[in-house]
Amino acid sequence: MSTFRAAFAWQSRAVLGRHVRVHLRKWHTALVPPVCEPILMLLTFGVGLGGRMGGFAWAGGPVDYLTYLAPGMLAYAAFMTAFFQSVFSAYVRMHFQKSWEGQLTTQVGLEHVVWAEALWAATLATAYATAVALVLLAFGAAGALHLHWAGLLLALPLLFLSALAFASLGLLFTAWLPSMDHMSLPFFLVVLPLGFASSTYFPLPDAPVLAQVVLLNPLHHVAEGLRWLLVAGRFTAHLPAAVGLCLAMLALLVPIDMRLLRRRVFGDR
Amino acid sequence: MGAPLLLEARGLKKALGGKTVVDGVDLTCAPGEVLGLLGPNGAGKTTSLRMCYGFLRPDAGTVRIGGHDLAREPDAARRRLGVCTQDDTCDPDFTVRGNLEQTGRYYRPRLPDLDRRIDDLLAQFELAPFADQLPETLSGGYKRRLMIARAVLHRPEVVFLDEPTTGLDPQARVAVWELVAGLRAQGMAVVLTTHYMDEAERLSDRLVVLQGGRVRANGVARAVLGDVVGEHIVVLEAAHGTPALAEWLAARGAAPATVLAEWHIALDAAGLAAFVATYPDLRFEVRAPTLDDLFLALAEERRP
Repeated sequence: MSTFRAAFAWQSRAVLGRHVRVHLRKWHTALVPPVCEPILMLLTFGVGLGGRMGGFAWAGGPVDYLTYLAPGMLAYAAFMTAFFQSVFSAYVRMHFQKSWEGQLTTQVGLEHVVWAEALWAATLATAYATAVALVLLAFGAAGALHLHWAGLLLALPLLFLSALAFASLGLLFTAWLPSMDHMSLPFFLVVLPLGFASSTYFPLPDAPVLAQVVLLNPLHHVAEGLRWLLVAGRFTAHLPAAVGLCLAMLALLVPIDMRLLRRRVFGDR
Repeated sequence: MGAPLLLEARGLKKALGGKTVVDGVDLTCAPGEVLGLLGPNGAGKTTSLRMCYGFLRPDAGTVRIGGHDLAREPDAARRRLGVCTQDDTCDPDFTVRGNLEQTGRYYRPRLPDLDRRIDDLLAQFELAPFADQLPETLSGGYKRRLMIARAVLHRPEVVFLDEPTTGLDPQARVAVWELVAGLRAQGMAVVLTTHYMDEAERLSDRLVVLQGGRVRANGVARAVLGDVVGEHIVVLEAAHGTPALAEWLAARGAAPATVLAEWHIALDAAGLAAFVATYPDLRFEVRAPTLDDLFLALAEERRP
């Protein structure tokens, strides 16, 4: 249990604070992608492509593609941000900047450094998802998007939890990747399969096997859960399924992350 | 009775990758003492140091820092130690001052006078003119100053300096020596590793020589040299070193170390007298042993 208690230790907060401080100094440039990307996506895919798609259906009824797309963008933003922050940025801090080594010579332990990376990835992912939500609200204010906006209050904690789980998956690659040259591996092994089989940007085809497989994909449950919540205003089983899968990922992956990173950082068992 | 030991490491053992790297090493350091840790590459210096500052967990043995067991009271022990690693670990996202501020956040209890302490260190380490610059803009010598300033920010009792002057120019090395002398004067226990023999001799009150993961010698520099190397070094041109001479030396337990075109032979007083008597026509010099000879002697011992 000490592995999980470390998430709440002052050392983890101190390292998390370091990441927040660094980010706040460059927030104006860091905020460009999470704000501009959803605007572009909503305009090109939602308005542009969606305008040419007649008879788009979801949950047995017609829905315009822009409405279908909006909750999926929230889920995808949290997933991508958390995963890449925990793989790419954490790897750079560990391997090139050696800031982990600097922290580990103080009262901070490896378990705190690792938790701080995961918590920071989840925090940033939630912030980016919030930026996406604000863009969606702006589209709503302009009358282009109609959602159950109160559902966003429930969406953000769920997005934080799912981002934390995806960060724990990303840290597995941080521990395992032999060098920067292998950075494309997590994209092919995780991002593409999870992203394609997730119902974030398009509905899944009617295939019985696929329908069974996606039940194990937390991103699918997050996207569909948020879609039901925001589009239909209904709390469905997707939400507890997403929470359960994310908690299971954390319970399984964090101890493995710690073990592999200990070996990587210290050359120790 | 002397002051209580600030560093007390007993029976340290560590295997890495299935190979025993450190095998029963004891290290101690008292307040105001500089302990030099010496040994050839692979002797176990850095691994021993890393166990002492909590970076690696020993397979066996204990480490006490300021009386606190590093394994049982990690927070208390680590609050009392400071580390300057071999690699530059300055945080590139913070300025010089920001590095010190951020380091201060990694310690509890917090320093009540952190801002004043940072100002004092910036002045003491002559970093004040660069306080608002990023570490990447500093020269190697000033980066090293920043690393040492970070290591002592929280007023530790024991400071570990892993090759603090490697890669620095002579002027910067002297500046680091002065800083180390200053830490000693403040009553800190300083443990340093170095490859520079002059540095070890100048800075260290006591030397521990490691070889093959074990303590080969321990004491003041002259005593260590006497134990491991011998009292005198005979230097002669290698061209004069005949197989017969090599055999004569081997019979007395001595072996010449070849340094470029010279043989360096460590002999005690009786050995030197016998040498002079046996080879009266040879041209040679006699000098006192240095720590360079120590390394050469250790390398010779390792040779199969």
